[in-house]
Amino acid sequence: MIKIENLHKSYPMGKESLHVLKGLNLHIKEGEFVSIMGSSGSGKSTLLNIVGLLDIHDEGNYYLNGQLIEDLDEKKAAVLRNKFLGFVFQSFNLISYKTALENVALPLYYKGVGRKERQKIALEYLEKVGLKKWASHLPNELSGGQKQRVAIARALVTQPKVVLADEPTGALDSTTSNSVMEMLKEINREGMTVFVITHEEEIAEETDRIVRLKDGVIISDELTNKKVSV
Amino acid sequence: MFDRDIWAEIFHSIKKNKLRTFLTGFSVAWGIFILVLLLASVNGMKNGFTSQFNDDATNSISIWPSVTTMAYDGFEANRAIQFTNKDIEYIKGNFKDEVEYITPRFRKGVTAKYKKETGSYQVRAVSPSHQYIEKTLIQSGRFLNDNDINNKLKVVVIGRKIEEDLFEDEDPLGKTLIVNNSTFRIIGVFTDEGNDREERYLYIPVTTMQRLYSNTDDISQILLTYNPKYNFAEAISFSETLEIVLKRRHRIHPDDQGAIYLNNNAEGFSDVTNFTNMLNYISVGVGLLILLAGIIGIGNILVFIIKERTKEIGIRKALGARPSQIINLVILESVFITTISGFGGMLFAMGLIGLVGPNIKSDAFANPSVELSTIIIATIILVVAGVIAGLIPAIKAAKVRPIVALNSD
Repeated sequence: MIKIENLHKSYPMGKESLHVLKGLNLHIKEGEFVSIMGSSGSGKSTLLNIVGLLDIHDEGNYYLNGQLIEDLDEKKAAVLRNKFLGFVFQSFNLISYKTALENVALPLYYKGVGRKERQKIALEYLEKVGLKKWASHLPNELSGGQKQRVAIARALVTQPKVVLADEPTGALDSTTSNSVMEMLKEINREGMTVFVITHEEEIAEETDRIVRLKDGVIISDELTNKKVSV
Repeated sequence: MFDRDIWAEIFHSIKKNKLRTFLTGFSVAWGIFILVLLLASVNGMKNGFTSQFNDDATNSISIWPSVTTMAYDGFEANRAIQFTNKDIEYIKGNFKDEVEYITPRFRKGVTAKYKKETGSYQVRAVSPSHQYIEKTLIQSGRFLNDNDINNKLKVVVIGRKIEEDLFEDEDPLGKTLIVNNSTFRIIGVFTDEGNDREERYLYIPVTTMQRLYSNTDDISQILLTYNPKYNFAEAISFSETLEIVLKRRHRIHPDDQGAIYLNNNAEGFSDVTNFTNMLNYISVGVGLLILLAGIIGIGNILVFIIKERTKEIGIRKALGARPSQIINLVILESVFITTISGFGGMLFAMGLIGLVGPNIKSDAFANPSVELSTIIIATIILVVAGVIAGLIPAIKAAKVRPIVALNSD
């Protein structure tokens, strides 16, 4: 599903340039539940941005769903993101003046789905995350955990190939963290590839495979013992 | 474009920034308001000028003689030039195609008396064509005819004001009017679109007046209208030819500017047209400049709104919004604000014109109005203005990179 070969990325910092990713190789198969672990500055966010088509790599190859990502302009990236990727962010990133339902329906709007159809599908997904009753509420009327569940529903609504979660529990307390992770696991069980970025050991432990990143290189890539290897 | 969601977004953004939207919208409304008002005023002035000129035929030329200022052909300077009926016959004979109507004219102050009522008036000694040149309207009876001229009849056509002065309830037609001790039969009463003064004239056949008062065929002025199909250049060319021919006939130096005066109405009319056209250009210019301030204001507010919404735009992009969709959103919002507020300004201006316009009573200003073309042009200007105002903010918004936007909290 995601295949990365010798991936390099550096950012210009004044006259110098900061080499963030130093030749990563990673292969994530369809249906995997993977976490990327690392402290801040390890390059994990950069990796997520590249995988999420929010940023462009300098060197190496990146295949998403078997398709080589190259010559990416904004329009192409937007279409690919809409088609293949669902995002879950640490700070939820819901649009504040739209109701839960409208937020969930937004990716469908960009996909070109008609209004009625959109609302129907969005409501189904809200039901799936247990928030059907909250459909007409604005984000600021929801708790943190509820907001993240709306965000998850929004990430899933277009039936993407991969869900990318950037510190999905970073802003939540431990109880809600657990319920959010349970939800991600549930999604994974249904066959979705889930890609979590975190710096918390307990969160990483919940996934099937942990890739540890340090100073732009992968230092370990192992399956967790919780799940028996396939 | 007619997507319900886009409009929902636009209304939301407007609602969120009510005061700012109102203030910028107001600046556009103000610009259009002034533009429309200026154009309507120029229109009013144009109407005023035109109605003043309408008193006489617009294709008329008047010629009157004076005194030579240059010695020529054996004559010394300061020789008085005198026109006679022969000049009229000469012009008639040589400019058959060019001249539409022609009449001699001279004036004489007289006392007119009917029964006990008397008044002092001016007599205009003319031929029948004068009616068409001066646009005299017959109210009752008839104007002078060729028979009156040929037989030097003592008949008179009187103005409406004279009728009011001298004839209380009586019908003046066929009555005898005593003009300077001679008796004249009244054959007609006329009105004139010009002003009251025009209606205090008496028209008497030119031949009759010549016989009664001078026993010559002298006249003091020639009035004529040229072929109404002439354009401006042809009209000017004709009056130049006429001047050359008359100077030759009266042995006047070709460069003598004082011996004959020739006034072509087309010149005055063209001057007025040029003047009002220039005013039109100026008011469009001023209006557009004021509008420009409004456009910049809207551009400014939109840049601010985009800045506020950077994160939101980033989220949208992460969810699959294409740059063109973002640009559309911003430009539509801009066009919406400019068009709505512009129409507001336009309606307000038109209301004001409709209310105040009819109450303005002045010779130089009549019936100010907004033409349909003005409204159409203003609408186009507004939409274009909206696009221009939205362009820079929209490009700015489209350039927002999703990662930067998402990290901006």
